[in-house]
Amino acid sequence: MGSFFSNLFSSLWGSKEIRILILGLDGAGKTTILYRLQVGEIVTTIPTIGFNVETVTYKNLKFQVWDLGGQTSIRPYWRCYYSNTDAIIYVVDSMDRERIGVSKGELVAMLEEEELSKATLLVFANKQDIDGCMTAAEVSNALGLPALRDRQWQIFKTSAIKGEGLDDAMEWLINALKAKQN
Amino acid sequence: MYTLLYGLWKYMFQKDEYYVLILGLDNAGKTTFLERTKSKFSRNYQSLSADKISPTVGLNIGRIDLGSIRLRFWDLGGQKDLLTLWDKYYSEAHAVIFMIDSTDKERLSMSKEAFDEMMVHPALDRVPLLVLANKQDLESAMALDEIKTIFNESLQNLGKRDFKIQPISALKSQGIHESIDWLVYCAKKNSDRPPSTREITS
Repeated sequence: MGSFFSNLFSSLWGSKEIRILILGLDGAGKTTILYRLQVGEIVTTIPTIGFNVETVTYKNLKFQVWDLGGQTSIRPYWRCYYSNTDAIIYVVDSMDRERIGVSKGELVAMLEEEELSKATLLVFANKQDIDGCMTAAEVSNALGLPALRDRQWQIFKTSAIKGEGLDDAMEWLINALKAKQN
Repeated sequence: MYTLLYGLWKYMFQKDEYYVLILGLDNAGKTTFLERTKSKFSRNYQSLSADKISPTVGLNIGRIDLGSIRLRFWDLGGQKDLLTLWDKYYSEAHAVIFMIDSTDKERLSMSKEAFDEMMVHPALDRVPLLVLANKQDLESAMALDEIKTIFNESLQNLGKRDFKIQPISALKSQGIHESIDWLVYCAKKNSDRPPSTREITS
């Protein structure tokens, strides 16, 4: 009986692509993360003007992952992509103490959007391979994450270059989305 | 007539909301407790199996409805550098659960340190505090008396607040009902921090 339901469950799951947005300031490592997730390799990237979108398959689940350019002039266009988003991956350059405040501003504005009120939030404190970078707790505080009251969030220490932390994050995301379904 | 209808409206759609913080060191079983609580009190909720639960580095939320009361949970990560995030939630909490891994003798003193620091925080003054000695289903668990002896040392700082230590096994869903009953009873009684009333249609 249990297996019947779990089969039914997985078949329901298989049919729908999960929509993920990767957002964050320019130079945070969003595109590198996207291609790490998709092909498991480091690709040489150039600053994204516009977006990249790829289908990523992980544990038999299909994710449609959107990586939107993070430069100041194109951030206002993020909102065009918000509808039907299941999860947001917000990427922070953990070395960039100077602009963490700007990053916070963008994050806070984004989370106020009605269309994203149900989206699960993952924060990637990226570039953890560099010595002297901010810790997960520092990034959380600087982004004002403890002010969130009605939204589940989780922060991951990642290094897209070394491929660290990404698997844990995807694993967590799958379970979080499953739990949200019931 | 109006009063009657209003009363009915209130009865059906208004709920008193209480926020409950779940704290404690990592791997104490906070998220498992939250998952089991959700499945016990909400119909149709299928709790995440324990092996699917990874360490929380952030915030998990949950809510359960008990008649005209709604409990909202904040389950925070307990890893060392995350302890600095706890106090951001204190001023809005109506009750605190402090979770202990009863099998973790080695880190019991560390757990108590975090507990002491939390307890003396002024923003938690008079907020009911429930200590859960978790993992009592395991043989290596310390007896309740042993834990009580250690935590009783801190009671001089208790102030005017309700306090209880309760043995549970979150994994086996033992002791959850008692815990929630006690929390609701104490949070309702605490006139220092009244609940927020919200009209709820879902």
